[in-house]
Amino acid sequence: MMRKRVALALALAAVLAAGSLAACGGQESSSSETTTAKAAEQGGKGTEGGDGAPSSDTVYPAGTLTVYAMGNPQYRQQYFETWLENHRDIAPEVKIEFVQTEGTADIREKITMTALSGATEDLPDAAMLDPVTIMDLAKAGLLKDETEYLAPLLDKMVDGATTDATIDGKIYALPDSVRPQVLFYNKEIFDRYEIDPETMSTMDGYIEAGRQLKEKSNGEVYLSYIDPTSKTWRYWGRRGLMPSAGAKIWDENGEVIIGSDEGTKKALGALDTMNSEGLLMKTTIMEPALYDAINNQKVATFCMGAFWDEFMRQNCEAVKGQWRVMSAPEFEGVGKAGAPVSQFMGIIEKGDNPYSELFRMMWYDFTFDIEAKEVWVNSMEEQNAPYSNPVSKEMLEDPFWKEPSEFYGGMSFREMEGKCLENGAENLAVTPQDAEADEIISAELEKYVAGNQSMEEAIANMDKNLKSKIGKAEVVQ
Amino acid sequence: MLKAIKKYKAPYLFILPFFLLFLVFQLIPTVWTLYISLTNWKGIGTPDFCGMDNYKKIAVDNMFWESLGNTVIYWISGLILILCCALLIACLLNSRFLANNTARAFFKTATFLPNVCAAIAMGLIFRMLFDENVGLINEIIALVGISKIPWLTSTTFSKIPVIILNVWRYTPWFTMILLSGLLNISKDYYEAATVDGANSIQQFWFITLPSLKNILFFCSVTLTVDMWKLFNESYILPGPGTSNSSLFQYMYESGFNVFNMGYASAIGVVLILILIVISLIQFVARRRQGEL
Repeated sequence: MMRKRVALALALAAVLAAGSLAACGGQESSSSETTTAKAAEQGGKGTEGGDGAPSSDTVYPAGTLTVYAMGNPQYRQQYFETWLENHRDIAPEVKIEFVQTEGTADIREKITMTALSGATEDLPDAAMLDPVTIMDLAKAGLLKDETEYLAPLLDKMVDGATTDATIDGKIYALPDSVRPQVLFYNKEIFDRYEIDPETMSTMDGYIEAGRQLKEKSNGEVYLSYIDPTSKTWRYWGRRGLMPSAGAKIWDENGEVIIGSDEGTKKALGALDTMNSEGLLMKTTIMEPALYDAINNQKVATFCMGAFWDEFMRQNCEAVKGQWRVMSAPEFEGVGKAGAPVSQFMGIIEKGDNPYSELFRMMWYDFTFDIEAKEVWVNSMEEQNAPYSNPVSKEMLEDPFWKEPSEFYGGMSFREMEGKCLENGAENLAVTPQDAEADEIISAELEKYVAGNQSMEEAIANMDKNLKSKIGKAEVVQ
Repeated sequence: MLKAIKKYKAPYLFILPFFLLFLVFQLIPTVWTLYISLTNWKGIGTPDFCGMDNYKKIAVDNMFWESLGNTVIYWISGLILILCCALLIACLLNSRFLANNTARAFFKTATFLPNVCAAIAMGLIFRMLFDENVGLINEIIALVGISKIPWLTSTTFSKIPVIILNVWRYTPWFTMILLSGLLNISKDYYEAATVDGANSIQQFWFITLPSLKNILFFCSVTLTVDMWKLFNESYILPGPGTSNSSLFQYMYESGFNVFNMGYASAIGVVLILILIVISLIQFVARRRQGEL
């Protein structure tokens, strides 16, 4: 009887232990033939074309090429799937999957956790990345060094295309897009109230236009919006007014200077003026309430990244043809029109990544194949889907990128996007402490928007909290 | 110890799987957390030992203290509101007013429904309900003639939706626990009290509550742990800055938004210490009352 009980207990323990171990086990690799993969990668590198375009006679192993991305990656997948269909000779059984993520923090979390668990075969083959994530992943050895591959292509791409992916002279990701800060405005509203949009070329003029709109519309029309969440810092602050005003969070040595920086006072002071004078509609961006206001002509402008175009096209059909774009307002004494936002595709360093070279080929085609890109962009226009200007100089010269846009009343949004890059401000210095700094700064700005403190108090608290929590940043670039 | 193990081999073998899992998934991670809290680590690469730096940072981090304060408010309000609501509903479900078994079964199911709904889905619905511009709550308030309340965009009000969602979600579970306790109280006590002329309130105060003491203690302990690890409700209903963040949420955001794993681990260690202290106080208080 006793023996039976012992045996039963042992069996139960063994089953549970086996179950636990099974649960910890990794999934089957997305591609099985690592030997072929190695050969493919070596073959790919060896047969690189003279102009930087990779070519390969290697047949890539069956499997799924996984890419972590954000936004609406299903549309990008359409391009890559078409490419794969046209290249079945080298990738007969390769599929591509763009995995939708919440954003770069989510991508980083997924990659970090997978790498930590040791399940490198579960890592994606590539991922859409921002400069801070590139910095951290490159430091951890999780990104492939693209310096050698990109060197012959640099002259073919717009200026600064690889700047934010360059760490200590090495480039760790393939440029995906460089999008400027632009000023979207509803021409019909400006015509109705007889306000010249050109006055908005300076920040003072922009604020004055807001005052006139408020006065002439009896407070019905807002100049723009202010978001009670962290998006105010993201879009108005870090990517918008701060670089335009030449503001700094850290000095060259990484010391916190946001509290005493004149640029910060100028940038956040402008936001304070607009907010305190009631020129900004308090609402969450990218939510139905704001789209309703836009469709009802209650909001006249957006000083935003060019990405806002896709949200407008998708959600503001009622005001189609009324909107125009111009360069973002410049601060007096700075003369810069907003900083561009770069996005990159990093190839993950995961040992035997069988698709590194294949992904480079796809990226090259997406970046430099004029004809294929135009077909895809037309399809995106039809679907009201997102796309961005190319980073290829040659492609930008093509008349296609100057074609008029229906949503912008015949103005060419694509051409304006290119033009708005011309007088772009320099981005805030990228540091590994940026995510933490953003959390601290945004919390104070959110309290300001909630009406709990003045802007002066908010800036002073940002300075105090950055000093006590971070102290000194590592200014890499 | 070894003698006991040798003597009771079979029972120890039966509980061995639990201890193996506890060791792998709880004890080792806790020790690892303690170690990581003494380092600067961004989740990848090698952790750099930094001694007590993360704990020093905690001492001067107003976001931490604000989150801690919020968690205390969620805990106290949760303990009072959830236990009171749960006890009230449990008494109603157990009362003679619901003599019909079908009605009792219906109300039991209906009461339990909020607990089986996904927290995130409910959070999204609550976010719509409490929206300042188009939310149903403000529409109703406006009908009464009161101006709209910035539920989630003001530091003053942002904790209220979280507390309401919290109470709404947790009450059913504790109602069921308390109801099971009520069902175990012998009817004889109530019959005797009725014969002695005790009214309903006296019966509740002198029979029901003392009989439920142990269950209420169990509920308060589990509720304390639940409230201190509150995450979903405040995460899905964010207010300005950390005005309604819970400590658990702040720990998560420090770890997975900011990727400051060392700092997040330090917050985790502080959280563990707080929970140990609160649990000890509860147990000591019960022991002094001679209940344990």
